[in-house]
Amino acid sequence: MMIQEKYTGRYQNLKVAEALSNNHLYPFACNELSSIIDLGFSRFPKDLKAFIFRDCLSAFRLLPDMNTSAAVSAANLLVKSVESAFPKQKKNLAVVEFKQAKVALKRRSKSHEEHIDMPSLPQDILVHIFSFLDVSSLLSSSQVSRSWNQATCEGSIWRSLFDLHFNHKVFIHIHSGIDWREAFKNEYILSNSSKMLRSGRGYCSYCDSIVWHDNLRCPKKQCRLKSGKKPLDLMLIHQVVNYLLGTTSSSDESDSEDEAAVRGLWAYPTLQ
Amino acid sequence: MSESDMAIIKPDMMKSYIWLETSDGSIQQVEQEVAMFCPMICHQVLQKGAGSSKNSAISLPHKVNPPMLSLIFDYCRFHQLPGRSNKERKVYDEKFMRMDTKRLCELTSAADSLQLKPLVDLTSRALARIIEGKSPEEIREIFHLPDDLTEEEKLEPLKNTMDDPRIRLLNRLYAKKRKELKERAKLKSIEVEERVDERSVDDLLSFINGRDHKGVNTSKSKKKNKKRKEHKNGTCKVFNKDSHNLHSKQRSVEETSSSSLGRVSNLHSMEDDIFSKKAEFEDGYIDDEIDPALKEMLDREVEEFARRLNSSWVLSVGQERQPVHFSINGNGDTRRLTAIDD
Repeated sequence: MMIQEKYTGRYQNLKVAEALSNNHLYPFACNELSSIIDLGFSRFPKDLKAFIFRDCLSAFRLLPDMNTSAAVSAANLLVKSVESAFPKQKKNLAVVEFKQAKVALKRRSKSHEEHIDMPSLPQDILVHIFSFLDVSSLLSSSQVSRSWNQATCEGSIWRSLFDLHFNHKVFIHIHSGIDWREAFKNEYILSNSSKMLRSGRGYCSYCDSIVWHDNLRCPKKQCRLKSGKKPLDLMLIHQVVNYLLGTTSSSDESDSEDEAAVRGLWAYPTLQ
Repeated sequence: MSESDMAIIKPDMMKSYIWLETSDGSIQQVEQEVAMFCPMICHQVLQKGAGSSKNSAISLPHKVNPPMLSLIFDYCRFHQLPGRSNKERKVYDEKFMRMDTKRLCELTSAADSLQLKPLVDLTSRALARIIEGKSPEEIREIFHLPDDLTEEEKLEPLKNTMDDPRIRLLNRLYAKKRKELKERAKLKSIEVEERVDERSVDDLLSFINGRDHKGVNTSKSKKKNKKRKEHKNGTCKVFNKDSHNLHSKQRSVEETSSSSLGRVSNLHSMEDDIFSKKAEFEDGYIDDEIDPALKEMLDREVEEFARRLNSSWVLSVGQERQPVHFSINGNGDTRRLTAIDD
């Protein structure tokens, strides 16, 4: 059926599989897969189900290489979705793959050698390194140690982050004593940024596609040249799923800010 | 080849070398064009005429040890050749960066002290990629850094702690929790425990429903919390002593009566209500003498609350989601999927 083929085509446009092998995008891709499975698996045509199954297996096989707690959380979430939606045989295959991955992870963490003598990096180098980080990694870094925390206070980092995230839509009065970190934090909270950044997805109007954004820009070079300083329109996970399913639900339930907490306690109805 | 031919060839083969001394005292010579690629060395040669002989060897900064120096010169040797394409350079760089984190740090420091900016950028980016997406604990492990921030400092990653109303609330909560647990200990001895259990589920439900009509807002502003707090001043004191029990009771009630309450109240607004009630009481710290076991439990609980409290800023910036979730099967039952423990 023509309508069924659309699903598969759109899924391939989303390029979930590519993202799985990317260290940075792996958790985003797993979360997206989870949502896709949760919200529509039963309705998908056979070939799309096969693609999704294949990508889940990939996800689990790649887990040992990722080896971060964010990756493990994302994989855990994915296996839950698999367990509740997949038919028995496929489910068992996937879960076996997942368990093998966990074993491999355990083995890796055990064989961790002990370097005791690590050179300490000077503050200005730390600042330079941090200038390449995204917000969540920067905040993680600020909690690592005292010296790292101090380096993350550097105004220039927050100024360029502010520029990157908000310059196109916020007019800010710049005075000499401005605390860029505070300015960023305030705007970040106001604009609900954490929710918007959760999916790792943006819509690029230049190539008219949903992409995995690279620091809020389209990964394609031509699009970046055309767009200049303007960042992509960020997307929520449910919007991505809507694209795939061809639905237009506003679905405030699935993207409330406390979604994670809510989902933990409340049963939620599947979309009709 | 005749001797005259050799005489012509020789000048081309004669290279000039720069003499360098590393921190351990060893002296070596490097081809001029390679060494001059480093601004710091270049500066020394041109401005001070150093490095032309063994005696006038340029002494390098102490962060540049021999292995790092040889790495750096490999890099320089490749890149100083103008004939290489951008793609070649990129491929070389990617391969060059494959080393363990410790060497990467050393290399970054060394390159920085020689002012070799392109290499500093390269190594910095590589280090940033390593840091990306990792939790603080994971980063500490990789870089062997000490965990020398206090819990409070970690929870508020941005400096001004006292200005944040949430941190103030947290401090109050700390104090309140201590007092509450102390009172509970007292209560136990008087045996006025478990009043909450005597209430029926219906009573609790109607209480929750009654609160929720006022509590259902999208905004969690403190003003609204305060209004509700003042309004319910009478009732809240009754519950304060066993609010801990009530809280867990509420949760189990919530789980079983999901349909009647709908999506209305979520965990956060419940907690905000409880927190704001506690905010009525004294500000600041209460220096109680508490049994250390109790204190530990307290600390753990407060940490948990604090994490939730702070989650809208710090933790929600991360990508983690709850590993436990519910789903409804065909006939509307809720089925709890067990979490797989790492």
